[in-house]
Amino acid sequence: MKKNSKKEVLVAVLITFITVIILRSLEVSAPGPEVAAPLSASSRLSELLGDAGREGYAQAIDSRRFTFPADHGPHPEFRNEWWYVTGNLDSDTGRRFGFELTIFRFSLTPQAVDASTSNSAWRSNQVYIGHFALTDAAKRQFHVAQRFSRGSLGLAGAVAQPFRVWLDDWSITGTRSSGPVVAEYKFGLPWKLQAGDGEISLNLTLTPRKAPVLNGVDGLSQKAAAEGNASYYYSITRLRTDGTIRIGDEELLVSGLSWLDREWGSSALSAEQQGWDWYALQLSDGSDLMFYNLRRNDGSQDIHSAGTLTMADGSSVYLSGEDLEIEVLDTWNSPHGGQYPMAWQITAPLHELNLRVDPVLDAQELITTVRYWEGAVDVTGTRGESPITGRGYVELTGYADPDMLP
Amino acid sequence: MPALYRASFGYLLRHPWQLALALLGICIGVAVIVAVDLANESSRRAFLLSMDAVNGEATHQITGGPSGVEESLYTELRVEHGIRSIAPVVAGYIRYQDTVLRLLGVDIFAEREFRNYSLLGSSEQSIVETGSDNDSAINVTTRILTTPGTLLVSGSTAGRLGLEIGERFKLLAAGKEQDALLAGFFALQEEGRLDNLLITDIANAQQWLGMHGKLTRIDVRVTDQTPELVERLEDVLPQNVQLTSAAGRTQSTLDMTSAFMTNLTAMSLLALLIGIFLIYNSVAFAVLQRRALIGVLRAIGLTRRQTFSLILLEGVMLGITGAVLGLLCGIWLGEQLLQLVARTISDHYFVVNVTGVSVAPASVVKGFAAGLGATVLAAAVPAFEASSYQPRLAMTRSVLEHRVGHSLPAVTAAGLTGAFLAMFILAFSGHNLVAGLVALFLLILGFALLIPIAVRTAARVLAPAAGRLLGTSGKLAVSGIGTSLSRTGVAIVALAVAVSATVGVSVMVDSFRASVNEWLGNTLRSDIYVGVPGGSFDPELLDDLLAIPGIEHHSTSRRTWLESESGRLRLIVLQMAPGSYAGTAIREGDPEEVWRAFDMQGAVLVSDAYAYRHDVGRGDTVSFKTGNGDRAFRVAAVFQSYDSNDGAILMSRRTYDIFFDDPRIDSLGIYLEEDADIDRVMQDIRQLGAGRQALALNSNARIREISLDIFDRTFIITDVLYWLAVGVAVIGILGAMLALQLERARELAVLRAIGMTPGQMAGMVTMQTGFIGVLSGVAAIPLGIIMAWVLIAVINRRAFGWEMDMIIEPGVLLTSLALAIGAALVAGLYPARRAATARPALAMREE
Repeated sequence: MKKNSKKEVLVAVLITFITVIILRSLEVSAPGPEVAAPLSASSRLSELLGDAGREGYAQAIDSRRFTFPADHGPHPEFRNEWWYVTGNLDSDTGRRFGFELTIFRFSLTPQAVDASTSNSAWRSNQVYIGHFALTDAAKRQFHVAQRFSRGSLGLAGAVAQPFRVWLDDWSITGTRSSGPVVAEYKFGLPWKLQAGDGEISLNLTLTPRKAPVLNGVDGLSQKAAAEGNASYYYSITRLRTDGTIRIGDEELLVSGLSWLDREWGSSALSAEQQGWDWYALQLSDGSDLMFYNLRRNDGSQDIHSAGTLTMADGSSVYLSGEDLEIEVLDTWNSPHGGQYPMAWQITAPLHELNLRVDPVLDAQELITTVRYWEGAVDVTGTRGESPITGRGYVELTGYADPDMLP
Repeated sequence: MPALYRASFGYLLRHPWQLALALLGICIGVAVIVAVDLANESSRRAFLLSMDAVNGEATHQITGGPSGVEESLYTELRVEHGIRSIAPVVAGYIRYQDTVLRLLGVDIFAEREFRNYSLLGSSEQSIVETGSDNDSAINVTTRILTTPGTLLVSGSTAGRLGLEIGERFKLLAAGKEQDALLAGFFALQEEGRLDNLLITDIANAQQWLGMHGKLTRIDVRVTDQTPELVERLEDVLPQNVQLTSAAGRTQSTLDMTSAFMTNLTAMSLLALLIGIFLIYNSVAFAVLQRRALIGVLRAIGLTRRQTFSLILLEGVMLGITGAVLGLLCGIWLGEQLLQLVARTISDHYFVVNVTGVSVAPASVVKGFAAGLGATVLAAAVPAFEASSYQPRLAMTRSVLEHRVGHSLPAVTAAGLTGAFLAMFILAFSGHNLVAGLVALFLLILGFALLIPIAVRTAARVLAPAAGRLLGTSGKLAVSGIGTSLSRTGVAIVALAVAVSATVGVSVMVDSFRASVNEWLGNTLRSDIYVGVPGGSFDPELLDDLLAIPGIEHHSTSRRTWLESESGRLRLIVLQMAPGSYAGTAIREGDPEEVWRAFDMQGAVLVSDAYAYRHDVGRGDTVSFKTGNGDRAFRVAAVFQSYDSNDGAILMSRRTYDIFFDDPRIDSLGIYLEEDADIDRVMQDIRQLGAGRQALALNSNARIREISLDIFDRTFIITDVLYWLAVGVAVIGILGAMLALQLERARELAVLRAIGMTPGQMAGMVTMQTGFIGVLSGVAAIPLGIIMAWVLIAVINRRAFGWEMDMIIEPGVLLTSLALAIGAALVAGLYPARRAATARPALAMREE
């Protein structure tokens, strides 16, 4: 039986979504018999990402030695990869913001294009997709944009050194620090993050507070029993963030904390997967909690649900599904259809954590070609006897059925 | 009143021949107008639709010089400047079997905002779910991006080409054979918009069209929300590219054909003009024949007003019926003409694929209004005449002829006025084509109005001579023409105008052809011409070609387009061989000096048409955007050219290489050594090209032949139209002769009664029509020569900017005379037979 991690599903959805985008932009009618019956998102995904889909790609099988800053760069021998940054910011005038910038990379074929025979710099098997979202808590506004590009001609791409991943004018770029080499710079950071859409733009500097933490077993995040059904997955759970947000003519100085998720792999997913809930919470005692709860079609928790608790000193512990208990306290009905859980009580008895998680804003659903909810949240609660607060990001997928908008 | 109308229509129905002729006249006139309009509009529409499909939502375009736009500019705009509403395009033409198809290379990720292709009748699910595992939609998509040669085409085009999804085939791009794979279909809302269009990935298009590192253009979409985008782009765009509005660019391309289309419309109006004579003829006769009836009606109390409206109503009914018939014929004729028009446009301007005539309501309304309006106008004159008769006088024919005789000086004066007005307009209307055409029409009208007096004079003078030569019937025949001017006059005018049109057009075409022929002879200096259809030479192949033994010298050329504020400019880049210089005829200036300036000092030459259109001459400068930004170039001379009506600029290769980064060469002129064997060299060239690049290889003589073929093809339309005009005129004569004869039935009967044989009767009628033909032909020759002069010196010059010498071949004039006489005699056959077989007793009993 195959089981899936949250992002595998996202990858599947996104691959479907690239296809849909491409096909909808050109309206290709492929040959063959047309299947009239509408199929559910999950069966569609399973069909699209059968095991045949990863043939020829590198597989995440053995544990690997992560080296930085090299591993910040791309791994094109794997089918999919992403740079996932979320964060909570406050302006110097006290205005609250949340942001998400994700750049996905996909290989369309296992073999890279042979530049010597192609005769065109446009030819590429790499596709990049970007999602950008900004939550303006005070004005209760949520802004979303998505972009696509082929990974050639400098339109989009990823480079390890000097570090840069970009899509159009959205980018995350390594900066060369002229100061003394202190601990926090040794992983190739700080980074500059730039993104925007229309009236809104974001210009941030990300400086790590902690070293990269390897999720799963030494960074090999096993998604299912089958060999290769895994990905390489690391996070930098705490990045000090400073910069500006421009909204129209208004420019705001902001600061806060961000979170980086990096993952790459080539694995497929199974039909039993319905969706996942992902929590990334930065707590006031300096610890950071990440947990993904995989939901099966019958609503139960998949046994591969897991997480990582990173301590203030950078040490981390693996969390299994049994280590955490999550209770949904509220729901929110999307105006576009579908009902999302919207407030949670999370308890981790082993770690004496008792947390209540509330969204900063209910309406943080990304109406991109794939619909999902990804939003800034507030945390209140206790560790042992001491009160604790925090902020973070929660991602909810598989609640809007179908995932595709018409 | 209903009784009156019944009488009126009853009369028409009892004279079906006359009715048919009147209807035919209107019908042909309307048909020609509608046909030309439909053909023009359909070509224009086909072009606009294809531009629409290709431009999509683009409001502006960034274009570069001859080598296109650097692809790095696109990245810079997106990544450095964050400009998103842009899409790269690499476009060109490829050949599949015998069909030329437009190839559009796009980036599907940038496309979404631009070309909004619609669904192909299936739901989104079915698209995603379609197909077996080995050929699913994902594979299609992946293939477009990653497999070289993958194409999409519209279903209808695939059907026409006989291609199926998954089929692999060969096509020819830039002279090289390429492997292609049809991966899928696409469709647009409007069927046919994307006919003959292939869509492929931009990488593929670059590879096939040899545009490595370059884009044909960058499409830009400015919306109401982003009006500042134009300004932003203008700020960041480099000097060597240009931002133009897509609509403006389409329009300026279309404008190139406007002179051609205006000329066609003018031709169709000429057909209607002749049609008006005919309608006037028919209605006037219908009135004349009933003058007794009208006289009686007037005597018993019918008012003038009632008489007028009765006759006019007849005209309106005729007009409506004729116009409706004309519309139907016109649509059919339009389909026939369309192919000719589209072919001509493709030969001279841009590739236009027209799959069918689209009947635009405007064309129909125009044709109908013209037909009805012309009929009412033509009927108003006799209606007015009929209503103005004194009831008693209306019964006598002599009164009518008397009136005609009276009005003759006024008609003549009007004719002279028209002619003078025409000359006046010609002298003072500058470069205006429409004014030139108006003058031409005035001139024709003016001259036509002078014909009646000439006919009367000729008949008077020639009747005695005819009597001496041909006896009494000859004398009667000739003098009869002068005395029944009210009928014969109009017929002669119609025939004369129609024949003069053939003289004018023939002389113009002959002069043109002779000039082109001479020019070709002069220009084509090389022994062999080698070109790459739709592309440029592979540099290695070029080196190999030039190494073939027997080649003494060679010249190279590249034909390309420059973008400018005033639209596109044609640029011809030449590297001359020693023998080439004499091939370009310089209008003015010392050739040695001109060529030195051209070769060494960066000066350019401009064609006749360019000089005329842009009003520049020797010593002036022309400015346009080069690879180094805007530059002005001195015009060393104007050269003779007939190859494009929008004009061309000639630049030396040396100058071009300084200002443009474009080493491409698309044709080669080869000069052979004296003892070289042309067939062997051509054979060698063919062998070298085989498997590397498809070359178009032509000898000097063959190029000349091809050029003249294209020339002749261009004038097929002219031929068709003037034969239609002659057709209208023949019908006019037939109608006039029939009516004349019906009217003179009693007179003829008397002649029969006093001893003329049926043969003599037929002879007399034949002589009369023959003489009408002679008079028409004689009148047509001077009018035709004047028309030819106006066409050559005014219309062609204004429309196309071409300069040519007028050459009048006596053969053309004789043919026209023969045509006039022949047409008249053909028209006279039936009336002659009738005259011969009429029974005199019956005719005389009438009274």
